[in-house]
Amino acid sequence: MSAATALTLAEAVDVVAREARRAGSDRFDIEADESDRLGLDVFAGQVTKTDVSSLRGLSIRLFRGRRPGCARTERLTVDALRRTVTEASAQATLADEADLDLPEPAALPAVDLQVDDPTLDFVSLAQMKALALHVEAAAFEVDPRVENLPYLRVSRNRRSSIVCNSNGVLYQSRQGSTTAGVGAVARYGQIRKMGIDTRGGRAFDYDAASMARRAVERAVELLDATPLASGVYPVVLSHRVSPQLFGLFASPFFAEAVHEGRSRLQGQIGRAIAVPEIAIVCDPLTPRAAGSYLFDSEGVPARTVHVVRDGVLQTYLSTLASARATGVPPTGTGSRDESGAITTRLANYQVGKGVRRLDDLLAAYSRCLYVVQLEGTAACSAVSGEISIGAQGFMYERGRRTRPVDRVTINTNFFDLLHRIRGLSDTYSDAFGNVFVPDVLVDGVHVSG
Amino acid sequence: MEQRHAERLLQAGCERGADFVELFQEETRHTSLSYANNRVETATSVTRYGVGIRLLFGTDVLYTQTSRDDESHVLRLIDAVCAVREPTIGSGARSRRHAIDWRSPDLEPRHPVVLDPRGVGPERRLDVLRRADRAARSVSHRVSQVNARTEDVVSEILVCNSEGLWAADTRTRCRFHVTVTAEGGGEMFEAREAPGAQQGFEFFDELDVEALAHEAAERAVRLVSAGYVTGGQMPVVVGNGFGGVIFHEACGHLLETEGVRHKASVFAARLGEQIAHAEVTAVDDGTLPGSWGSVRMDDEGMPARTTVLIKAGVLQTYLSDRLGAQQTGVPRSGNGRRESYRHAPVSRMCNTYIAAGLHTPAAVIASVDNGLYAKKMGGGSVNPATGEFNFAVEEAYRIRHGRVAELVRGASLIGQGETILPRISMVGDDLAFAAGMCGASSGHVPVTVGQPTIRVDEILVGGR
Repeated sequence: MSAATALTLAEAVDVVAREARRAGSDRFDIEADESDRLGLDVFAGQVTKTDVSSLRGLSIRLFRGRRPGCARTERLTVDALRRTVTEASAQATLADEADLDLPEPAALPAVDLQVDDPTLDFVSLAQMKALALHVEAAAFEVDPRVENLPYLRVSRNRRSSIVCNSNGVLYQSRQGSTTAGVGAVARYGQIRKMGIDTRGGRAFDYDAASMARRAVERAVELLDATPLASGVYPVVLSHRVSPQLFGLFASPFFAEAVHEGRSRLQGQIGRAIAVPEIAIVCDPLTPRAAGSYLFDSEGVPARTVHVVRDGVLQTYLSTLASARATGVPPTGTGSRDESGAITTRLANYQVGKGVRRLDDLLAAYSRCLYVVQLEGTAACSAVSGEISIGAQGFMYERGRRTRPVDRVTINTNFFDLLHRIRGLSDTYSDAFGNVFVPDVLVDGVHVSG
Repeated sequence: MEQRHAERLLQAGCERGADFVELFQEETRHTSLSYANNRVETATSVTRYGVGIRLLFGTDVLYTQTSRDDESHVLRLIDAVCAVREPTIGSGARSRRHAIDWRSPDLEPRHPVVLDPRGVGPERRLDVLRRADRAARSVSHRVSQVNARTEDVVSEILVCNSEGLWAADTRTRCRFHVTVTAEGGGEMFEAREAPGAQQGFEFFDELDVEALAHEAAERAVRLVSAGYVTGGQMPVVVGNGFGGVIFHEACGHLLETEGVRHKASVFAARLGEQIAHAEVTAVDDGTLPGSWGSVRMDDEGMPARTTVLIKAGVLQTYLSDRLGAQQTGVPRSGNGRRESYRHAPVSRMCNTYIAAGLHTPAAVIASVDNGLYAKKMGGGSVNPATGEFNFAVEEAYRIRHGRVAELVRGASLIGQGETILPRISMVGDDLAFAAGMCGASSGHVPVTVGQPTIRVDEILVGGR
């Protein structure tokens, strides 16, 4: 084998482990991953973009003494891998010491995650094309005000990974998923609104007609929206947008943010940070979900983590280093970013459902704003908790929808919002996501219009 | 990649019926060092490597990308991506059998690199970070955290295509980030500065790190004592520099042919129309020497150029890539860009700005009786199909009776691109630029935004 020959993933891992030891490091961990993807876009009856990708990469964190250095490469040749180890070693000479112990081999949870459906290997571009064309045709039939479908995409993804370390941990995984999304623009006069429906899952079984109908309805229902007078309103965040908001404010629950002094939840373990109805769980062991796995990027076995119970903060989500730095147990939520550095991930982050129906929440006050679209997140800060964000939705009076609303902003603070939650619905969105939050009723939200 | 190897791959695409085949090869080395808690938190080095092959069948795009460049593997991917094509479609280049007559574009050396960051030891990066940390912490006891980071990126790019283009480029960029957290009254606020340039490591040597860290720290500390802004429709004066993000998001994206060709822009089919106030002239200029958003050539191998988008309020042209130009009928503007080999190129902005006007910033502020001064903008986003945009304001003040009054927090700006342009009624004479990253369908690319101080007659301010 020449030094410039491309290696398999397993061969690359072996080379890097050997080179790390040769470089004088007796502690290291490695994650190597390989993915392939098929996807296409359809516009105006034609496949306008077809995408086939085959990508690989390898990340190493090695320690010189207790100093970690990280490096990643997408070139899996012996020469390139040697250089990657050399670079990680050079970074380690610069880093400060990190207090952590790499995990020992352990039995992984005996859970069938059902994330590797072998039939996905046989999903073809032709099937994707047929689905997309069906969605497009159906969308124009739903409503004559549909002007355009600028976004219509179907894809199939597969990913394999190997995680190993110098203690003998060696785990492998393989996952597959598909996604299908459509964005429909409806027009009435000079007003345009876009409705989006994005589906996903571990199989390829989509109902084109219902996707088209949902996207179009979401566009059309807001066409004659008007602003709302500025004031303080009760707001129901639809389960279409509540995951977006709670996902944005997940990082204060990360031990990493606590350690860096960028979380208002520092020192709050054991204290009430939300109303008692709030429970937050991270459960990577949920079968078929988007954020499921049996081991994390540091080789820590996955487990169900109760982050908030009865409104009381139980722990932070952590990596090995941030767990040690903040004194919490590792939660098996380590991930490697594109730079090869270890960060924290969300793993099926769930705010527990309530017992009320959405209709009950919408009728809880004499009037409320039901938010179904959020626009932009730049004015939301996970550090300060500030939320200032554009919203669209519907005004409800005594439980009845009275008119659509747009050109308003909602303004509150996430850490205050957790104490102002007045109800949770009994339903999650059926979108394929990593964050699950039911409809949420909050009072005292400032609305500007 | 050797020319004969590239030629075989391009030929393979032509033989499968493509009208045009393009190969993009990239090797990028990215080094990052971050400092927080008075220590090096992460030190990383990344090598990104791969090949992207684009096949055009008329205006349909087939794209395949891989981090392996062995010929048999790439040929299999070409076959896979062509699988969805009807066998009879596409024939323009099929007959090519002769050797490609390669030609290279004349690229001007606008962004000289004095010090290749690949040859600079880590200690110099650490020195920059420690200086920033010290400077920020010296501002106030309220400063609770300083996160500073250096990053330097060197990309070796090759673009070649079935028309015989062979264009290679080396792109070197450096960027400094400092984020300062201040605490008070149980609350936390952050402020940041993040300049960048298409330069070598000399960028860090020339940077006033202490001043930037000071600026971020002072702003974070000021926010601790700020009250909430009262929301509602009002006139807004947007400060210069990063204030240009408002044009970038609210209008710039809507002027990219990628949206126009999909009829997903409210400015489609409006060339020659008065779409903005007569005070507004807007430009995209990929040639600015050393600027973060500049390119010597775009990612389709076309030399960068200067494009006047709006002149005295009248829409002149769109920002285009090869396909966008073909479909909308505007000339190619050298704006075909992508984050990496993982993305097919589409029309994207480079250095986009509103040209300087005649008013002093003081005169612009004095013209507002009751409104908001958005001195420093945060990020933002837009839905090109509807034109609906939103922005964060990192530092804002009320304007009362033509004077800057109290600092306020929690402000955002939302509106619609089509309606905001006619409301920019005053343009200042203090044009400045700022670096940023822009995300769209071809990934995240470095861009520069710019503008002088401007007045927007009415916009919705989110607040309490």
